[in-house]
Amino acid sequence: MSVSLDQWYTRRQQDTEGEFWRKIAAQGPRKEAGQTQQGLYLVGVDGQLLAYTNNRGPERVRGLLEQAARDYAHPVDAKPLERQSTDAKYQVALPEGAVVVRVQARVDGGYTPTDDRWESLFQSAVSRDNLWITAEEQGALAQGTVPEALAVRILRFHLVDNTRGEPPVWSREEIREWSLTIENGKLVGSAHLETEDGSRGYQATLQGELAFGQDQQLQQCHIWVEGQFWGSGPFTRNPPPGKFPLVIAFRLADGSEPADSLAPHGSRGWLPGYLRP
Amino acid sequence: MIVVVEYFGASVMTRITLILCLIVGGLPSGVSAQDSGLSKLGQQCLAIDRDKDAAWRTVDWQTDLIAAQRMAVEQQKPLFIWAMDGHPLGCT
Repeated sequence: MSVSLDQWYTRRQQDTEGEFWRKIAAQGPRKEAGQTQQGLYLVGVDGQLLAYTNNRGPERVRGLLEQAARDYAHPVDAKPLERQSTDAKYQVALPEGAVVVRVQARVDGGYTPTDDRWESLFQSAVSRDNLWITAEEQGALAQGTVPEALAVRILRFHLVDNTRGEPPVWSREEIREWSLTIENGKLVGSAHLETEDGSRGYQATLQGELAFGQDQQLQQCHIWVEGQFWGSGPFTRNPPPGKFPLVIAFRLADGSEPADSLAPHGSRGWLPGYLRP
Repeated sequence: MIVVVEYFGASVMTRITLILCLIVGGLPSGVSAQDSGLSKLGQQCLAIDRDKDAAWRTVDWQTDLIAAQRMAVEQQKPLFIWAMDGHPLGCT
């Protein structure tokens, strides 16, 4: 049974899921709940840790799975866990009537050629995040207006280079200039985002097509962003030198992928700050 | 021809997939014939998702640990947990 989770949430949760996670992690090399416990865990249904690795090599992962297939003895008295509690602080739910838009970014050139296997993987990576658009915002869009909260949400949290890891988002002060309007049914705009010291920035244009149902719910959304990015963050090191082309695509999620149900990166820890940035 | 090489996890958060595409003519990479009714912009947005057929995306990833444990009990299987800072499936 394959599970993927953001342990930033799980290790903090004061509920049934958090307790089960801490029981597992306490048996591994990363016992401290205040620090990252990331890695690949092979676990019995009773929470007994069978194996752990944080090695990036597929050979090691395959070895872990083969070990499970070979050695696993299912406990005869195994019982399904009952969810006794849910920590509301870490349950980030899609607001009623909101839609999910897939956001994917790609660096479109500029990297120094490399023979390094891992670096080349990062250089060609396509990222994935979700943009949430509330019911009220869809109504405004259908009327031809881009709500400022939505525009700022897109600018701050989604015009980022997250192709090599967790990106720094933009502060309000780092939004130097922007425009985002609907003209003749088309979304058009531009953005200039830049840190105070100028070490990281993005200058881009946006264009989009939106379509709505009779209830003003968004039924089609295609937004294309392209521009020049520069700089990196603590977890997105080794960008191309200087300015480089970064493209970002938005399109409506159809719920067919597990990732469609995930909360946006920008909402981590504080959903209101994401929805009303 | 599309060649997919998969990469699982890293010390940072993003799950990365490498796709080397050699496309000769036809629709943009990642756009199927049924998507060709989309506008050029729509196809462009769709085409960025080059790894739609990657092996890792065929895995039925569960995102709720308790629900997954209950399923594992029923199916008599162990749990394989991919835990990262930031979600492995995206939204890092």
